[in-house]
Amino acid sequence: MGLLSRKAHDKAARGLCLLITLSAISPLIWIVASIIANGASAISWEFVTSLPKPFGEGGGGIGHAILGTFIINALASVWGIPAGILTGMYLSEYDRSSRLGSAVRVAVESLAGVPSLIFGIFAFSLIVLAVRHYTALAAAFALGLMMIPLVAKATEESMKVVSDDIREAAIALGIPKWSRTIKIVLSIARGGVLSGSLLAFARISGETAPLLFTALFSYFWPTSLDQPMATLQVVIYNYALSGFDDWILKAWGASLLLMLLVLSINIAVRVSTRQKYAEGA
Amino acid sequence: MKTRKTIFLNLQDSVFRYLLIAVSVTVVAFFLAIAYVLVNRSAPAILFNGWGFLSSFAWNVSTEAYGAAPAILGTLFVGVVATLIAIPVSLGISIFFTEYAPRRIRFYLSIFIDLLAAIPSVIYGIWGLWIIAPLLKTYIQQPVVGALGFIPVFAGPAYGISISLAVFVLTIMVVPIISSLATELLSRTPPSLKEGMISLGATQWETVRHVGIPFARLGIFAAIMLGLGRALGETMAVTMVIGNSYLWPGEGVSIFYPATTITSKIASELYEAFSPLQLSSLIELSLILMAISLIINVSSRVIIGRIAKRGAY
Amino acid sequence: MGADVELDVLSLNAWFGEKQALKNINIQIPRRTVTAVIGPSGCGKSTFIRCMNRMHELIPGARVAGKVLLGGEDIYTEMDAMDVRRKVGMVFQKPNPFPNMSVEDNVVAGLKLSGGYKKGELGRIAEKNLRAVGLWDEVKDELKKSGASLSGGQQQRLCIARALAMEPEVILMDEPTSALDPASTAKIEELVQKLKAYATIIIITHNVQQAARVSDMTCFFYLGEVVEFDNTKALFEAPKNPLTERYITGRFG
Repeated sequence: MGLLSRKAHDKAARGLCLLITLSAISPLIWIVASIIANGASAISWEFVTSLPKPFGEGGGGIGHAILGTFIINALASVWGIPAGILTGMYLSEYDRSSRLGSAVRVAVESLAGVPSLIFGIFAFSLIVLAVRHYTALAAAFALGLMMIPLVAKATEESMKVVSDDIREAAIALGIPKWSRTIKIVLSIARGGVLSGSLLAFARISGETAPLLFTALFSYFWPTSLDQPMATLQVVIYNYALSGFDDWILKAWGASLLLMLLVLSINIAVRVSTRQKYAEGA
Repeated sequence: MKTRKTIFLNLQDSVFRYLLIAVSVTVVAFFLAIAYVLVNRSAPAILFNGWGFLSSFAWNVSTEAYGAAPAILGTLFVGVVATLIAIPVSLGISIFFTEYAPRRIRFYLSIFIDLLAAIPSVIYGIWGLWIIAPLLKTYIQQPVVGALGFIPVFAGPAYGISISLAVFVLTIMVVPIISSLATELLSRTPPSLKEGMISLGATQWETVRHVGIPFARLGIFAAIMLGLGRALGETMAVTMVIGNSYLWPGEGVSIFYPATTITSKIASELYEAFSPLQLSSLIELSLILMAISLIINVSSRVIIGRIAKRGAY
Repeated sequence: MGADVELDVLSLNAWFGEKQALKNINIQIPRRTVTAVIGPSGCGKSTFIRCMNRMHELIPGARVAGKVLLGGEDIYTEMDAMDVRRKVGMVFQKPNPFPNMSVEDNVVAGLKLSGGYKKGELGRIAEKNLRAVGLWDEVKDELKKSGASLSGGQQQRLCIARALAMEPEVILMDEPTSALDPASTAKIEELVQKLKAYATIIIITHNVQQAARVSDMTCFFYLGEVVEFDNTKALFEAPKNPLTERYITGRFG
């Protein structure tokens, strides 16, 4: 192939890749723009703080869903994050290569690949069918379970990076292993663990399928954890498919709120991680 | 002689160790429990539906005739096609990122890609449903039906909501998954290999094509499998744009027809399933999905293991 | 065994898997002295001192046989490993202060992380030990800064203070100055002789002159065995073994 033609190929490749990249990024911009454009008009004090009005009436809001999202996410995190950290800690510090360690690692990897729908069905079968009603507790269970592999991986990776020199110093001082694991290694690795936990939180905030089979939905303020509960995600799903303009508008509004939550966490984590590298951590 | 203090410290260590083991074992137990519960709950349907479940195109609650074929075919079609389209797109992005993008914009580019992956699927769903579907219907589907509608694949009517829309949205969702991994892999090409090519007068494109990608091919394969797994398991976005109908492919193979995937069927029907057999059949569907997922996961690991052993990268 | 023997090593053998690193070591380290351990690379010096605080056994596949008596008790069969390490401290070749802790917290890390001390007490202990290593004046206004923010030489003195704070019987030092600049090296060499007021010191060094400068006793290792162990002055002026003479005059290793 002549040199000119090879250069032409190179230029063409460069152009093509640029084109592809632009076209892949544009959906992001398009989606964000659509949500802002359609959802902004839905946002109001009433929208954020009140309950839905009876069908047919305008007005009302999704305050109960905003609260529901936070309640369920918080509950899920309360058990999912510690369980994930403990598992990651185990894999990094206690068991890098035995049979149990391998089994745990395989389980964590596999759980990470399981579709979120399956977690929902699991919680549905285990809890909802047993107690015969939809309940937010089942949702917290399913979402927490989904967080575990994400947090465990982040924890294990962050802790593994800590230099063995540090561990040696701690051993030589006669410090008990649990103390060295938590107060030294985990402490040094805390940035990575925190990022992983935040990303896991953002991830479950976006998950809807498990909620459909556990917390389902509600039109009222949550009064107990053991009952169906509304969430932003299910609001979007239900209202968007409803075909009623007012509800579709509210779905856009809910999308805007959800997107703000998820994207801001993601951006904050990426930016702070980069700063760490810039300072040469 | 053991001092009291160290006896106490050793006790603390044992307790902590057992705590960690307990938690880790519980995680393994949960994974096994998922499999067990799915099998257990779908058992009645498995026994009732038999093998015909996989080949039947019917789903009739009143006559209790359940068939999974359209859902399975829908899942496979949507997942595989979306992943296939996503591969060149993702590689294009990765190559751009590692070879052509100016350093300064790389950080922002990577954030963009990550955000694409972070967008909740239900938001992809509402965007696909209310923004893209009408556009797709008016500007692409209807013209194509008008011109080529006699070909079964392009038969009308075109509603916008269809299996092709699902493929479109899913492709966008799969791209960042493959792309972010592929980017990492390409950026790890040993500089010495690249320098070797460049010193021979190779262009950037030739270097990537003959050195970068082959070097990373194992990892890229893994990334593609990961993307495929995600595509097969995707629920909300697909459910909201695919139409949920057993029309495809039983009564026609048009890409403009509404269709069903395993995930969309379960998502739309489970909570109003009152017949125990219906419920069990839906869970049987999820068992099939789980099986497909595991097969993809395991086989890709085996393939990677085999290729890695042969000494290739 | 006399009252002035700190560590009584009896028939000590050590292995890395199949490879034997220490062969039948029998020596007695006198109390409150500085003993330098010298020898060419791979002669077993590092393995030897790691058998003194039971760190060797942590390496996968490692094995130890024999006895090491500390104050009359065998550290392997009669003492708990954690206790041994609290009584036998160690300073490493590469300074390794804990980066997530302040200077002050680093000094008392061994005490604080094992629990049982009151907060006020720890401040006093930190100051006392920082003074003992000559760091106090340099860091007294920066006690809250991260331990890793100090210079290399300061970090190493911090690590010495950290070991000292445990009030150990013995302090092991594995080539403590080889990663440092000459000025810091000199400061630490000065410190080593002072440290024997607090504990028995065993210091590995690949620098023969350093051994001559800082130690009271010198132990020459070769291929896993003790070739000669004597008073430093005697060993350097009139080595009994020709191997020793060749090593200290630089003709090998």
